[in-house]
Amino acid sequence: MSRELIYYAILFVAMLLLQALICNHIVLFNVAVPIIFIYFIIRLPMSLSTNWVLTLSFLMGFCVDIFSDTPGMNALACTIFAIARRKIFTLYNSRDEHHAEIVPSISTLGFATYCKYLLTTTLCYCTLIFLIEYFSFSHLPMMLLKIVSSSVLTFLLLLGIDSLMARQS
Amino acid sequence: MRNLLNFIIRYNTWFIFIFYVLLSCTLLFNGRNFYQQSVYLTSANGVSSTVYGMTNSVTGYFNLKEINADLQRRNASLENEVLNLQNQLKYYVTMVDADSASMSSTHASRFDYVIASVINNSVHHPRNYFTINKGANDGIKPGMGVVDQNGVVGIVNVVGSNSSRIISLLNTTQHFSVKIKNTDYIGSLSWYEGNPGIAYIEEMAQHMQFHVGDTVVTSGFSTTFPEGIPVGTVISRVRTTDENFFTLKVKLMSDFPRLSTVRVIKDDFKAELDSLQLYDAANN
Repeated sequence: MSRELIYYAILFVAMLLLQALICNHIVLFNVAVPIIFIYFIIRLPMSLSTNWVLTLSFLMGFCVDIFSDTPGMNALACTIFAIARRKIFTLYNSRDEHHAEIVPSISTLGFATYCKYLLTTTLCYCTLIFLIEYFSFSHLPMMLLKIVSSSVLTFLLLLGIDSLMARQS
Repeated sequence: MRNLLNFIIRYNTWFIFIFYVLLSCTLLFNGRNFYQQSVYLTSANGVSSTVYGMTNSVTGYFNLKEINADLQRRNASLENEVLNLQNQLKYYVTMVDADSASMSSTHASRFDYVIASVINNSVHHPRNYFTINKGANDGIKPGMGVVDQNGVVGIVNVVGSNSSRIISLLNTTQHFSVKIKNTDYIGSLSWYEGNPGIAYIEEMAQHMQFHVGDTVVTSGFSTTFPEGIPVGTVISRVRTTDENFFTLKVKLMSDFPRLSTVRVIKDDFKAELDSLQLYDAANN
C-alpha cells in the first residue's frame, strides 16, 4: 500500500513538472497543446473511492493552475473530469467483469480497450478545458480545432508514456 | 436532524464535488480580486518561481544568438540617434549663448530601469502572463511598464518578494495607449487571440493619414510608459462596421515566444503625477 502511495506521489510531482516546464511551452501549429498531466488522473486505480479521486484531481488541477497562471480553469475541468472518468471506464468495460482492482493501462486492459478509454478521456478533458477557457461560442471553429488537435496530440503522447511505463514494470 | 445527517452521509460524494466546483468557480471568476491581495495563487509565488528560475538557468541560453542580433541592431540604431542628437546639440549650443542655456537634468533622470530575466512565459492562451525574477526587493511595484530590447511587452501585475507576474501585451483584457510616430493620432492597442505577432489599434479617427510601415509608439499619456517606446509597425487597415473609426493591423516589434531579458520601467514622477490626478478628481 505504501509503495503505491509513493508511486502516485512521484507520478503527481513528475506530471506537474513535465506539464509546467515543458508541455506548457509547446504549441504545435499554433493550435495543439499537449495536456499530459491528466495521465495522473487517468491512471488512478478504479478501486479508489470517488471522494479521493475528486480530491486528488482537484489538487492536481489547482497546482497546474498556479504554475500556468490560469486561476481555477484546470481545477474546475479536473473536478468534472474526475466524475466523468469512471463513467467512461464502465462504458468500455462491462459491469459484470471484475475490474475493481484494475489500474487502467495497456497491460491490464489490453491495447484496443485502453486506446478507446484514453481517447475518450483526453477528448473529454480537452473539451472541458477549452470550453472553460473561451467561455463563449464566438470563436467556435478555432475552439473546435484546438479541442481536436490537442486531444490527438495528448492521446499520442500519453499512449507513448503508458507503453514506456508498461515496459519498465 | 438525523435524516439530514443520513442524507449528507449518503450523498457525500456529491457534496464534495459541488464544494470543489464552487471553489474553482470562485477562483475562475473572482481570481482578479484575489490576486490584488495574494501572490500565492500565481506563478510569482516562492515555490514556482524557484522551480522556474532553476529551469531558466538552463534554458536561458537557448536563444542567445537571436537575442544578441536584436541587441546589436538596437545598439546600432541608438548609436545613430546619439550621434544625430549630439550634432543637433552642438548646432544649438553655438546658436544660443552658453550662459543663458542652463540644461535641466530632471527630465533625463525621470525614468529608471530594472533589468530582469523572464523565467516563465506563455503565448497561446487568450489571457497570457509571464513571470520575471525580480520583485518587491528590487523596487518593483504593480502597474510599472515592461519593455525588452525591441519594444513594449507588458505591465507588472502581481509582485512577490523576488519575482513578479507581468500581464503580457498578448492579453485580451489589457489595452495600451499608442500613437503613430511623429503624429498626434492616439489609439488603443489590443491583441486578439491567436497570432502572437499581430495586434490591432482600435478607434483610429477616419481622417487620419498613415502609411504602411509607419512605426507605432507609446503615447506617454499614462505614467506606465515614457513617450515614444516602439510597439510595432503598421501593416494594413481593417474595415469595421463603424463609419467614424477604423482599425489598424500592427506587426509587433517584440518576439513574444522568445522573451528573455526585459527591463521594468520605474517612473520617479509617478507618485507626483498620480497625486495630481487625484487632486484634480477631488476638486471637480
